[in-house]
Amino acid sequence: MRLGDHVLALSGGPSPDRALIGNKAASLADMAALGLPVPPAFVVTTQACRAYLEGGRLPAGLEAAVDAGIAWVEQATGRTFGSGPSPLFVSVRSGAPVSMPGMMDTVLNLGMCPEAAAALARETGDSGFAADTFARFEKQFAEIVGHAPPADPRVQFLHAVAAVFQSWNSRRARRWREHQGIAHDLGTAVTVQAMVFGNRCELSGTGVLFSRNPLSGERVPYGEWLPRAQGEDVVSGRHTPLPLSALREAQPAVAAALLDAAAILERAGGDAQDIEFTVETGRLWLLQTRTAKRSPRAAARMAVEMATEGLIDRRTAVGRVSAGQLEALLRPALADDSVADATILARGEAASPGAGQGVLVLDSDEAERRAAAGELVVLARPTTSPEDVHGMIAAAAILTELGGSTSHAAVVGRSLGKPVIVGCGAGSLQALGGRMVTADGGPGVVYEGLLPLRSPVDDPVVATLAAWRAALAETV
Amino acid sequence: MIDTRHLVLHGLAVLKAAPAADIARRVGLADDRVEAELSSAEAAGRVVRAGERWTLSPLARMALQADYSRVHADVRNDPEVRAANRDFEDVNHALKALMTDWQVVTIAGERIQNDHQDKAYDARILDRLGSLHERSEPILKRLEARIPTLAFYRLALLEALEKAEDGDSAWVSDVSCESYHTLWFELHEELIRILSGSRTD
Repeated sequence: MRLGDHVLALSGGPSPDRALIGNKAASLADMAALGLPVPPAFVVTTQACRAYLEGGRLPAGLEAAVDAGIAWVEQATGRTFGSGPSPLFVSVRSGAPVSMPGMMDTVLNLGMCPEAAAALARETGDSGFAADTFARFEKQFAEIVGHAPPADPRVQFLHAVAAVFQSWNSRRARRWREHQGIAHDLGTAVTVQAMVFGNRCELSGTGVLFSRNPLSGERVPYGEWLPRAQGEDVVSGRHTPLPLSALREAQPAVAAALLDAAAILERAGGDAQDIEFTVETGRLWLLQTRTAKRSPRAAARMAVEMATEGLIDRRTAVGRVSAGQLEALLRPALADDSVADATILARGEAASPGAGQGVLVLDSDEAERRAAAGELVVLARPTTSPEDVHGMIAAAAILTELGGSTSHAAVVGRSLGKPVIVGCGAGSLQALGGRMVTADGGPGVVYEGLLPLRSPVDDPVVATLAAWRAALAETV
Repeated sequence: MIDTRHLVLHGLAVLKAAPAADIARRVGLADDRVEAELSSAEAAGRVVRAGERWTLSPLARMALQADYSRVHADVRNDPEVRAANRDFEDVNHALKALMTDWQVVTIAGERIQNDHQDKAYDARILDRLGSLHERSEPILKRLEARIPTLAFYRLALLEALEKAEDGDSAWVSDVSCESYHTLWFELHEELIRILSGSRTD
């Protein structure tokens, strides 16, 4: 729905042109068009950005159109921008038709001012919550927009829009477009969306839902639920989320609506979805959906099952499992029954999966030499440095005594596709030089001896994919 | 002025096994000077040639280690260098966390290798790498002002970043090229050697 020059409300009809509203808004519009609950939003179009970049200031008529946009969100939410009794806060984010580096980050809680904060405190009966929201807003606005927020929410808003437009011409964004052959006059849109608060009350919370299990690939939704929390609390890992069953017990109708939405989004997307949602005072809102990330195992199982269900064809299914995922599935693994009686020599932090075995060697030059002579070696070092890379390349697995999952050994070992176990403890590996060992990068355990490995080719899902791949190759 | 012999052996120590031209580029000397230095060091049994590549002899490795405190006494006591190095260590922590996020994603509480199928996820990490690079540039300039032989890294890191931004993801963390991570760690290794730091992991 048009709200004057350069401003469109995402009111649930057919999605507007992606070139005009950008990717993020288009994804919201698609969800709204499916009849799903999306917090009310409007878009300042890429056209306005082009006019701003040409004229050096916000184009005539934009302020009035933006006021109409705010009024539309106020009416849709029953809240008012910058004042009580129920204050409206919005998020402001950039959104180009093509995603690119160097664009402005999202500003949350715009509309915050002393009057709105006081109203929020009265409305929620929680002055600490209101003060905290205010403080977070001021800090974030200053970091992202580059100066302290003006007192008037309407002026805050116009500054944020201008800052998004300016980020279109950031050094990194410009350079990236030049190298990608993307026109400089495409422009970015600005998506403005009503904030919903998962931390408002006991009937509020936030979470993520996968339409299928992202680890096993099983056709069972998998969710995480954090009552009385905001989205960033989930991402930060500061709180441990509850399983989906907790939401089902506390708010069965909300959980049912969420599962229905997941099924609709999976069908529309033709693939498993990862959905961010917030519940505000017992009401479900969907914030974002995207194709779900998954383990290599889940990728294979989902592809085969979706083809069997008729959601996708076999060619698509085969294409869904990347070369890297297939390589990971085909990495040697310990046979299931082989570790029962095995002696554990060391334990550490699992940094890269797979099993590797051979003679444990304490020096990178020696590892390289012995591997070149045809021996299987496992390299063990206190830590690794660039001087050890040749030994790491030669080794079947890499172990360190010190350091964690971000250490040099972990980063280099992963990029080499090797099993890596780090932080086994100071001095824990020195005494093991010359012993035959098997390192299992999955749990992060070093066993004594050369344990039997199994071939993943026996796996029925992998076999089905291989058969489909072969059949497709014949028909081409 | 740091003597050429030390500089060549130092460059070779960081690169481990390298042709003369790579050492020259790294430490900012002309190819023929590096070749001359390597030939005389070979005669003295300090370096070993294997095809095109050179490596340090074990003895030269130990001698070099002892040489750092003599050659770099001034910068080791320079408060500006120490402050810049502390700032570098801060960025180093962020860089390591970023590299892990590039390689590993957390799904349903488990860490899974990033398969680089999700272009939006990768784009966000590259965006962070770009910001981190902008944060580290002034720090590298401060280090370079006192240790001119580090000048190689700032532009080389930018080149790796730009290749990654242009879509060739090997330039983020692969060991097979002068990727951002490869260069960053070699720079870190140089700083540890020159300033007598230690690697905690």
